[in-house]
Amino acid sequence: MIKAENITVCYRMSHDRIRSIKEYLVALVKGKIKYEEFYALNDVSFEIKKGEVIGIIGNNGAGKSTLLKVISGILRPTKGTVSLQGNVVPMLELGSGFDYDLTGRENVFLNGAILGYSEEYLKEKYDEIVAFSELGDFIESPVRNYSSGMVMRLAFSIASMVNPDILIVDEILAVGDMEFQEKSYARMMELMSHGTTVLLVSHNLDQVRDRCDRVIWLEHGNVVAIGETQEICDRYVESMRKT
Amino acid sequence: MKNKAIRVGIYVLIAYLILGLLFHFIAGDSLRATADTTSPVSPKAVLGEFVEKDTIKQPFVCEYDSLTSIGVLIGTNARKNSDTIHLSIWDNPNREGEPLYQSSVNAESMKDNTTYVWELGDKAIQNAAGKTFYLELESENGRKGNSISLYYGNTINAGRFSVAVDVFPLEVNGEPRLDDDDNPCSLCLTLGGIDYHWVGTYYWYLYGGGALLLALYILYVLHCKKHEKKCVALSLINSMLKYRFLMKQLVARDFKTKYKRSVLGVLWSFLNPLLTMSIQFVIFSTLFKSDIDNFVVYLLTGIICFNFFSEAANMCLMSIIGNATLINKVYVPKYIYPLSRSLSSGINLLLSLIPLLLMLLITKTPITPAILLLPFALIMLFLFSYGVGLILATMMVFFRDTQFLWNIFSMLLMYLTPIFYPETIIPTQFLWLYRLNPMYQIITFVRTILIEGISPGPAAYLGCILVAVIPLLIGLLIFKKNEDKFVLNI
Repeated sequence: MIKAENITVCYRMSHDRIRSIKEYLVALVKGKIKYEEFYALNDVSFEIKKGEVIGIIGNNGAGKSTLLKVISGILRPTKGTVSLQGNVVPMLELGSGFDYDLTGRENVFLNGAILGYSEEYLKEKYDEIVAFSELGDFIESPVRNYSSGMVMRLAFSIASMVNPDILIVDEILAVGDMEFQEKSYARMMELMSHGTTVLLVSHNLDQVRDRCDRVIWLEHGNVVAIGETQEICDRYVESMRKT
Repeated sequence: MKNKAIRVGIYVLIAYLILGLLFHFIAGDSLRATADTTSPVSPKAVLGEFVEKDTIKQPFVCEYDSLTSIGVLIGTNARKNSDTIHLSIWDNPNREGEPLYQSSVNAESMKDNTTYVWELGDKAIQNAAGKTFYLELESENGRKGNSISLYYGNTINAGRFSVAVDVFPLEVNGEPRLDDDDNPCSLCLTLGGIDYHWVGTYYWYLYGGGALLLALYILYVLHCKKHEKKCVALSLINSMLKYRFLMKQLVARDFKTKYKRSVLGVLWSFLNPLLTMSIQFVIFSTLFKSDIDNFVVYLLTGIICFNFFSEAANMCLMSIIGNATLINKVYVPKYIYPLSRSLSSGINLLLSLIPLLLMLLITKTPITPAILLLPFALIMLFLFSYGVGLILATMMVFFRDTQFLWNIFSMLLMYLTPIFYPETIIPTQFLWLYRLNPMYQIITFVRTILIEGISPGPAAYLGCILVAVIPLLIGLLIFKKNEDKFVLNI
């Protein structure tokens, strides 16, 4: 389903970021353009079968988010290839495609289009989205009049109205008030249990232990281990304690 | 599914055949031949009274394939003269053989300080391009006090300046006529001629050849589709189908948010060009009006075309960095962002055509079938603007100075484009450079079809296509090469 081969993502970091032609020319003349190579991912390979729920764990800066970006196609790896079948839906950050001057209804279609839904699908699911978001008549007023909780509710409702082959989740999202949090959590669980292939990044090890079939443990861009959930999680916790 | 693809292919072919026929109907004459006249040297002095047995000999080179008329700037000394003027054109300086053209005119019909034009009619000199001819003028019975005179000079006007030009020496009774600095001079001649174009001559061959190539290409694409091979047209169609809905949403978003919180809303799309035009009309009509026919339409076409370009380029410039959050979160082909911005400017352009049409009606400019060529010019304008937009969007990601540089550069380009001034103020020796400006090519094209109501010659089509396609290809190349690095730099 997903096959990653030798993915390497290498950033060239100049010591001071050059942002203007003048700075660039000055630095060029002085011969001072030095790059430091930084490997966000180093030779990562794995294979994921259809329907598996895979947890990705590791400390901050381990390369988890970079890996998700590579798989969802946002970032092209410096080396290596990712091959996958089916549509990928990333749930990375909610509401990033919102336009605050447009109404909720217009944003449903705009955001839905950005997430790759078809027009027919959105029209069919529109009522369901509005109902789930519990926005009621607010759906016809501009998003800039919404409270932040309402924005998140609408965003979640759109993003979760998917039927993807591959779902990419950066932390399980639970937004809004207590009631909506429960509802959205249940919704996520439902999405993840329908034979969808899921890649889940989480710092909540209990969730990972609960949900995942296998776990990839990343450290400084390298794969430390891939394997059975409980075993890898135990080893991860152990290594955390040592340091 | 397979049948649908074949049907689409057939539709494309039929569309080509119909458009080709329609195009021949609208522009056929201009493709075959275009008429033009040269501008004369500026008058500097008069020869003095042109009296009996005086002979004036003036060599000249014809630039046209066929010489159809010749005009000479004359003065009548502000009276009616009863002389008869004999004009003849020879292909050699020594009057050997028969003249190519000869005509005698009663001087009474001549008006003071105007160019008297001899129409060659069916005696038009064919295959004249690049050849030297000798014009001879004789007075039959002119006397002092009852004769015309002729103007001569050796400069042309270029804005506020006059520039010396090389001329063939004018001879009066065998004596070369020189100016005060001993430079040769020429009569103020206005040559009229026709250029023939092979495009028109072989139009039907080109049309048939194009149809054949198109049919072969469609077969190739169908073949690729059947065997699931990759080819440019197929991946283009696929991505168009796949991202059509997203494009629609993004364009709608741009368009809705633009006027969302303004009172007049979409009316601004009409008002904006009209108001700009009114201001510039008031300011510039005093300066240039006498030089330009139909100044209202002239000005409005320039403003509308340039406004579109400037708006599209500015929107594209910000399209990548302005959508940074999206690019970081969701995969969408990045060319979509500048394309959607250009398209929403394009809708604005279409709306601003309405006031233009209104002005055409108000100024009673005759609307001819040539107006159907407008979509061609607008598509070229769009492609050019999108190409520039792609380059700017890419540059902006890496160098934020681009936006400030572009402000200056687009202002420079605006002044280098004949929006509110006539092209004639440009010194002739710089005209070729001036005409490299893509906006010049496109705006002049639009003006020819709207104001003159005819199709321009084949060279103008080629010019428009080149100035649109070259920037577009460069833009696509630069964008494609760098798009993977965008996400690291925004």
